[in-house]
Amino acid sequence: MNILKCIESLRRNIKALRNVLIVYLVVLVIFDVVIHIGAHGHYFVDNIPAFWTMFGIIGCFLLIKVGKGIAHQFLSKDEDFYG
Amino acid sequence: MDSWIHPALFFFIGSLLIPFVKGKARTFLILLIPVLSIIDVAVMTEGVYGTFSFLGTTIVLGRVDKLSLIFAWVFTIMAFLGALYALHVKEDGHHAAGSFYIGSSLGAIFAGDYLTLFIFWEIMAFSSVFLIWYRKEKKSIDAGYRYLLVHVFGGLCFFAGMMLYAYKTGGFAFERIGQTGAGLPEYLILAGFALNAAVIPLHAWLPDAYPESTVEGAVLMCAFTTKTAVYVLARGFPGFEVLAILGTAMTVYGVFYAVIENDMRRVLAYHIISQVGYMVAGVGIGTELALNGACAHAFAHILYKALLFMGAGAVLYMTGTAKLSKLGGLYKYMPLTMIFYVIGAISISGFPLFSGFVSKSMIVASAHEEGRLVLMSLMNLAGIGTFLSVGLKVTYFAFFSKEAPIQAKEPPKNMLWAMGLTSALCFIIGVYPDALYALLPFSVEYRPYTLPHISEMLQILSFTGLVFFLLVKKLAPEDKMNLDMDIFYRYGGRAFMWIDVHIISVIDSYWGELYKVLGLKAIFKNAQLSYSFDRKIIDGVVDGSALGVRGIGGVVKKLQTGKIQTYMGLAILFFVLIVWYIIRDM
Repeated sequence: MNILKCIESLRRNIKALRNVLIVYLVVLVIFDVVIHIGAHGHYFVDNIPAFWTMFGIIGCFLLIKVGKGIAHQFLSKDEDFYG
Repeated sequence: MDSWIHPALFFFIGSLLIPFVKGKARTFLILLIPVLSIIDVAVMTEGVYGTFSFLGTTIVLGRVDKLSLIFAWVFTIMAFLGALYALHVKEDGHHAAGSFYIGSSLGAIFAGDYLTLFIFWEIMAFSSVFLIWYRKEKKSIDAGYRYLLVHVFGGLCFFAGMMLYAYKTGGFAFERIGQTGAGLPEYLILAGFALNAAVIPLHAWLPDAYPESTVEGAVLMCAFTTKTAVYVLARGFPGFEVLAILGTAMTVYGVFYAVIENDMRRVLAYHIISQVGYMVAGVGIGTELALNGACAHAFAHILYKALLFMGAGAVLYMTGTAKLSKLGGLYKYMPLTMIFYVIGAISISGFPLFSGFVSKSMIVASAHEEGRLVLMSLMNLAGIGTFLSVGLKVTYFAFFSKEAPIQAKEPPKNMLWAMGLTSALCFIIGVYPDALYALLPFSVEYRPYTLPHISEMLQILSFTGLVFFLLVKKLAPEDKMNLDMDIFYRYGGRAFMWIDVHIISVIDSYWGELYKVLGLKAIFKNAQLSYSFDRKIIDGVVDGSALGVRGIGGVVKKLQTGKIQTYMGLAILFFVLIVWYIIRDM
């Protein structure tokens, strides 16, 4: 099946795929800096270039760390906890 | 004008017919019901229909305006997709319960008064519980009872509020309620609605029950209950500050649990709380843009959430488990299912060209417009969690990560078709949002495809992806369950049973003893006194009447045969008499 072949070939070339994605991320940040030139939004979040890049990185990091932390400390129980 | 047909009728009549047809005719009927209802909604014109007077109040069965129509559109379309997905289900009762459930949710959104709304509201709870019970496992049966009890509690809040409200205002009309002047009646109604919308802390029923329902039932349930609640909130309570705050809290709370959960369908169920949070927050912000956003998001959400539940359901149906810790490598065996699931996941995450991008952003933009940057940032944080949990975590651990521990095949054709059609709709709404915007209740100019917005979303989502792959080991699913608010009523129920067994029944039996020892003696004494009083004084005064009473007593004695059928017959006769008496008075 064609879909399957596509996925398999992507998995074989995982390093190339990774490089392409890194280039994509860099381009994304440059793009955001460019569209901020000369633009003025209402609020401070609108005026910081690449604000949402930072937001994405920090937010995702916190969600994973805090989420898993609280789960391990308090919330996680065995599956038959309620019997 | 009487040319209006209530779309719920197709579902109610259809559900009664399903057991009587077999084979191809049955398939045809199951698909015909929603098709007829879609046509019905398409030809409907705005107005008020089905109005009549009952016990001195005005009943409105059909309030058709832009707000109810957009929900009717998506409900009937979803009914078709859900029916297509469930075609292989053999149990007639499953289809009938589903039809009843959808019909009553349509009844609720067209209701113009609280009485009608309440009745359909309750039918929804009592018909949808069968979609849980049809899973026929002990866990599902337990979860179904809890689901029912919680919804009965919510219904009682709603009922109490409704009665107090009617007492306060003198009528049952279901209209917009202002925040100033709202007291106990209004907030009780709000609590009843909020429970169905899974507003925290009244949310635990949802992730408790939906993952235990049938594969096909979950697809329906994720669409109708919470979105009917969003509709009634948008109708009755726009601009309530408490909703803006709780809604935003829901968005983060839902993704937080979605990040740590193991069961695929429980991840999605927690995620409903998060997504409905956006809508509730939109209702709470209450501007025209925000309300439009809540409606648009409800529309888009029903489709992609159903698509995600279809994908997760297909995995459960074919492999027998939805636990991420037991799955992996399924892309080899279920590539189509994977692609459809991923389309649902990128729609819900809000990637450009898919439906979440054009709907969720309206609510975020309305928070931005009102200068509520904290709400806006929290919603965007929830957006990160959405892509992280539903998009990346589930896709990676179910379809990739390790070699497949369980081998499987693609699901039946009808399931694939339902997923394919729903995927197409998610994409169409994403590239042609004006089709959706034309249905919105207010005419507000909103353009989703601007450079800053595209840049904002792509940055948030892409860098979430980056962090996910850096920390992927931290997210490895574990065979655990997570505590939530349901602990209070699970333990509360046990505490109640303990009190019942150890205290109330003990008191009851002591009371019985006490009664036997003291009470009977007292009664005998009392009886002796009154007997002599009766005999000596009353009989002396009204001699004739005693004879007459004895005669009637003889007739009553004949009725008291002790046979259950006699009592039932009498009860029915009595009931008919009361009904006849009420109808005669109308």
